[in-house]
Amino acid sequence: MSARLSGRPAAPGVALGPAFVIAPGPALTGFPETAGGPPEQELARLLGALRRAEDELRALAIEVAASAGEDEAEIFEAHAEFAADPELLGLAETAIGAGASAERSVVDAFGSFRELLAASESEYLAARAADLDDVRDRVVKILLGVSTSGDRPDRRSVIVARELSPSQTASIPVDLIAGIVTEVGSPTSHAAILARALGVPAVVSCGGLLAVIRSDLDVAIDGRIGEVIVDPDPSDRDVIERRGRDEERRREELTALRDEPGRTADGHRVELAANIGSIDHIPASVEAGGEGSGLVRTEFLFLGRIEAPGVEEQTKVYAEIMRGFPGYRVVFRTLDVGADKPLPFVERDPEENPALGLRGIRLSLRRPDLFRDQLRALLRASAEVAGDDAGHLAIMFPLVATASELRAARDTLRAVAGEEGIDPSGIAVGVMIEVPSAAIGAARLAHHADFLSIGTNDLIQYLFAVDRLNGAVSDIGDVLHPDVLSLIADVVDAAHANGAWVGVCGEAAGDPTTAAALVGLGVDELSMARVAIPEVKDALRHLTLAACTASVLEAIERAEDATSSREILEEAFARA
Amino acid sequence: MPDATVVLRNATGLHARPAKIFARAAAAQPADVAVEKDGRRVNAKSVLSLLTLDCHQGDEITISTDGEGAEAALAELVALVESGIGEDEAGDGAG
Repeated sequence: MSARLSGRPAAPGVALGPAFVIAPGPALTGFPETAGGPPEQELARLLGALRRAEDELRALAIEVAASAGEDEAEIFEAHAEFAADPELLGLAETAIGAGASAERSVVDAFGSFRELLAASESEYLAARAADLDDVRDRVVKILLGVSTSGDRPDRRSVIVARELSPSQTASIPVDLIAGIVTEVGSPTSHAAILARALGVPAVVSCGGLLAVIRSDLDVAIDGRIGEVIVDPDPSDRDVIERRGRDEERRREELTALRDEPGRTADGHRVELAANIGSIDHIPASVEAGGEGSGLVRTEFLFLGRIEAPGVEEQTKVYAEIMRGFPGYRVVFRTLDVGADKPLPFVERDPEENPALGLRGIRLSLRRPDLFRDQLRALLRASAEVAGDDAGHLAIMFPLVATASELRAARDTLRAVAGEEGIDPSGIAVGVMIEVPSAAIGAARLAHHADFLSIGTNDLIQYLFAVDRLNGAVSDIGDVLHPDVLSLIADVVDAAHANGAWVGVCGEAAGDPTTAAALVGLGVDELSMARVAIPEVKDALRHLTLAACTASVLEAIERAEDATSSREILEEAFARA
Repeated sequence: MPDATVVLRNATGLHARPAKIFARAAAAQPADVAVEKDGRRVNAKSVLSLLTLDCHQGDEITISTDGEGAEAALAELVALVESGIGEDEAGDGAG
């Protein structure tokens, strides 16, 4: 008799398979309360267990980095830090000194921190309480000599549990997990994040689940809508299997596009590149079908540093990034920091209004030593990879407001290239269009540049006078606003008339509707978050350039605001 | 015992990765390091203790150091906070 339940969607996709019910962890009460030997011996036991837990967690982090990604591996890096925490150890040490067993002392020490975190109103900290339990259980298991590797099914199954800890999720080989469903938990829990990274469908917070589930029953889940069917009847199975085939087909379609170039249905070429903010992003960007990078945020090399990275270190990193995209263009944005992101090695006066202050290219021109080091490293990296199967260098200057800034920046680049004996003529040089004066003066800039790249986030902030980090006003201003689309059209025309190509490298490029509108305006390259590439690539291949252009012109003409503009575009694209 | 009050500029404050980076930087100092927010003061070398302060972007924290190399430790940790502790103000926001 099938039972239908509903929970919160946590990771998309459908799964149908035998339930594998994970029993709750070992009872944490079956251990001695007091130490069997002297306190020094008990403390040594505890230290050994904490050290082993830390080692296991660091090893797990390495495994997860390979299976799910670096970001997900961070979860276990953090757990390892918990096991090595000096205050936690201090609390436990005091209890052991008073005669407690290692198990009791560590359970209570974790408990003290858990209470402080669980008492917080922040959802983030409350979720960390579950992480603490996970580490605590591992340490106690080690002390009790119980295996920490956890239960695993002997065939591909839907994993069912009251709640899954991240380490339980990560310790089951991914090919044995058809899906995950839990009775409690939140879509922001680490287990849910891991499920999404692993591509495993998941439903959480499914009330009543454990009352009806048994390990001999099949279970079907749809992680997109949060549906769970225990012991599905034949018609349920048909529905779920059909949805599964549809999803599978969609996934295959998108995967098949990976090595295809970005283009419209009628063959108009549009480069679809990935924004890069770390070397770690490269493999996933290539896997997603990214055609090079239209924005490498070089800040990642500088932020969090006491001293500026040297030319040699920068050269190595830039060369590695170029090697990551063989045959494609890689656009490096020079250092874009200001008083809002102060760097200890850049001395500066405090500013009343950092967004309008000494930042971007203004800072680079005022601090030529830093700027020249970065250009030198970019040029050397480009020379180093020349002839190898690597990407090729393009350089882009941020926050340019006037043509004279661009000329000064190009002069610096030419001077540094001369010192290095490198011919810079093959290196594309461009400017970010993110200041209204640059958008309006695009023709003058394009005259001195190989390309213009529109940074939609900052451009909108400055156009609408809206601080995008201020929630009270951040909904004002949108790239689909007809006046913004119209301005972008002017920028594209000015660029093309002067022989420059145009890219867009803000978040907007990753939205399929916006991407199609931008292509309709003549934008040549879109650079976006890597996860957005397959959907954008697919969307463009279903539309002709003429349809994109007609739709966006209609939006500019008829729309009153961004909302109606989006409606007009979506309707037109659905028709096309 | 030198101290300094700084504002957290980076997106996640003293949570997640920045909390770990800050605790590690504090643990690398020979001096004792404490962080205080809203009158609660904790050992900055303990990432768990830092998390319990629940420090967000825009929060003001006071860092104090004591013992060997206290001044240098304070300067380094203040610089670390001002640099964004390895992330920018929008987390991973685009241009």
